[in-house]
Amino acid sequence: MILKVDKIKKYFPIKKGIFLLTAGHVRALEEVSFEINEGQTIGVVGESGCGKTTLGRVIAKVYDATSGKLFYNPPKEESVEIRWNTDKRILKNYRKDVQMIFQDPYNSLDPRMTIGDTLAEPLQVHRVCSSKKELNEMVSRLLLKVGLYPEYASRYPHEFSGGQRQRISIARAIALHPRMIICDEPTSALDVSVQSQIINLLKDLQKEFQMAYLFISHNLDVVYHVSDWIMVMYLGNVVEIATPEELFENPLHPYTSALMKAIPNWNPEERRLGETTLQGEPPSPIAPPPGCPFHTRCEFVMERCKVEKPLLTNISENRKVACHLRVP
Amino acid sequence: MIVVKGLHSYFKTEDGLVKAVDDITFELRPNEVLALVGESGCGKSVTALTVMGLLNRKKTVLKGEILFREKRLLELSPEAYRQIRGDKIGMIFQEPMSAFDPLYTIGYQMQEVLKAHTNLSVEDQKQRAVHWLKNIGIPEAEKRFGQYPHEMSGGMLQRVMIAMALMLQPEVLIADEPTTALDVTIQAQVLGLIRNLQKNEGTSVLFITHDLGVVAEIADRVHVMYAGKIVEKGTVTRLFHRPLHPYTIGLLTSRVVKGKKGKELPFIPGYVPRAFELPEGCRFHPRCAQKLPRCERESPPEFLIDHENRVACWLFERGESA
Repeated sequence: MILKVDKIKKYFPIKKGIFLLTAGHVRALEEVSFEINEGQTIGVVGESGCGKTTLGRVIAKVYDATSGKLFYNPPKEESVEIRWNTDKRILKNYRKDVQMIFQDPYNSLDPRMTIGDTLAEPLQVHRVCSSKKELNEMVSRLLLKVGLYPEYASRYPHEFSGGQRQRISIARAIALHPRMIICDEPTSALDVSVQSQIINLLKDLQKEFQMAYLFISHNLDVVYHVSDWIMVMYLGNVVEIATPEELFENPLHPYTSALMKAIPNWNPEERRLGETTLQGEPPSPIAPPPGCPFHTRCEFVMERCKVEKPLLTNISENRKVACHLRVP
Repeated sequence: MIVVKGLHSYFKTEDGLVKAVDDITFELRPNEVLALVGESGCGKSVTALTVMGLLNRKKTVLKGEILFREKRLLELSPEAYRQIRGDKIGMIFQEPMSAFDPLYTIGYQMQEVLKAHTNLSVEDQKQRAVHWLKNIGIPEAEKRFGQYPHEMSGGMLQRVMIAMALMLQPEVLIADEPTTALDVTIQAQVLGLIRNLQKNEGTSVLFITHDLGVVAEIADRVHVMYAGKIVEKGTVTRLFHRPLHPYTIGLLTSRVVKGKKGKELPFIPGYVPRAFELPEGCRFHPRCAQKLPRCERESPPEFLIDHENRVACWLFERGESA
């Protein structure tokens, strides 16, 4: 096990007025728990505003969780708590071991730094190389690894296409041989013909370095392809966890099946437009509905759903769902 | 409805002419959904903007013809264009959040359209606007009418934009990536809405998207664009079941689907060329696995497969059997 996420909650305060008093909270994440192991990919899917990006950022420590704990297992050492830890040495190591790839390759690279400088920066911060020559060799190797030429090191981000930039972001993320990468919609901004190239690259690198991925995406097809486990999120809550095969063959949560029905199926003879059962839009995370977060759009809603929130419960060995229909 | 013949849209830039749309020909027929599909930078949005007459005439070079009810649109004065735009040809844009003016209410912006194109009284304008908001499935239409764009979600605003485009019952609707910024569940709702309205009102729709899944859901016919050219034209069923152009085949097979799990995904090597460094000959040849020697020199014309299906690729010089 690399990481254990234990009841992580993240509320963003809404400040109002000249004294910036807290007027309410955006409840981005509600008690999310899971574990991730070496070489494993956990896919996180859900619509915009479901908390999937917040989850990634809390784990990367871009945001601090409001409550809950993160346990990190360094290699050959005791597990340490990360969220509330203040030991700089431990945190620096954690940040080296857990890296991130962002959605938008146009904004996630510094336009004023050459590609070489961008890739060298993490190596310098963590003092990986002893000489300038070694550093340059390392950068060249990284570029080759992600399918780019070493000569590109002296160029600037604007000289590259979206797909190439995403390769550069990947090179930056693997520079320190992390144990885990948080991939936040890594292919969403790319063209279809390039998307597969990037997915293949991520899979190859994973095989080579045994990295774990937390793969965040709104695209169920992509998540199906890369993941060992899929977590479906809705309004800050995990509503279902299953293997991709089980999830696609037999979705248990009504939201999961509605989400699947909404994906176009690329067959003009089997159009699905009429089938959408999901009406309306997700409620605001500032004032989530009582009871089950999905009850306002659920076609199977019962009285109980409006008052009592279903808990994420094991229903078979590798399957969890949070729905009163499935867990009496 | 609309016939586009040999249309060129070039942009004048500091780096020279950018050939965004280079000699394309197509027609939009009555009561159909025609999809223009392609990746970013292929010229699909520029095509839409050219047809709408929304490009800055000083900074573009336009050649060719756009015919709409026997009128040559490219020769119209800006004033005459304004009469047609919105009234006869409606448009929906990609980003609902930035297509509205944040300082005015939805209702005000809808009334503005009606004021420009009809003689309705203010009261009737409001009635017509609210009627269309209801028509498009917006709950509490009267209340929404008085709200500002920031008070609505993206999906809701996209509906308002559709209502706004359809209020004047245009003969043609141009939809530029209308669902790209939306979540899948909202996308399904909006696509269903467009399809129903198209059927009920008999509007012709030019639907621009990069998403082949969306094309399969909504289009009757499809034109595939690559680097400023249309490379393949066909009916939606033929194109999905028997794609011809190597680029179309590449797009369809690089889809991530079930059954391919754990395997390497097929992909198109290389990247889309940039508009000011387009390759000679066929623009797809540097990425094409089946290229012939002549592809590097000569740009392929459109070859006829049958009356509905055409492909611009030298492989089909002698029809489909080749």
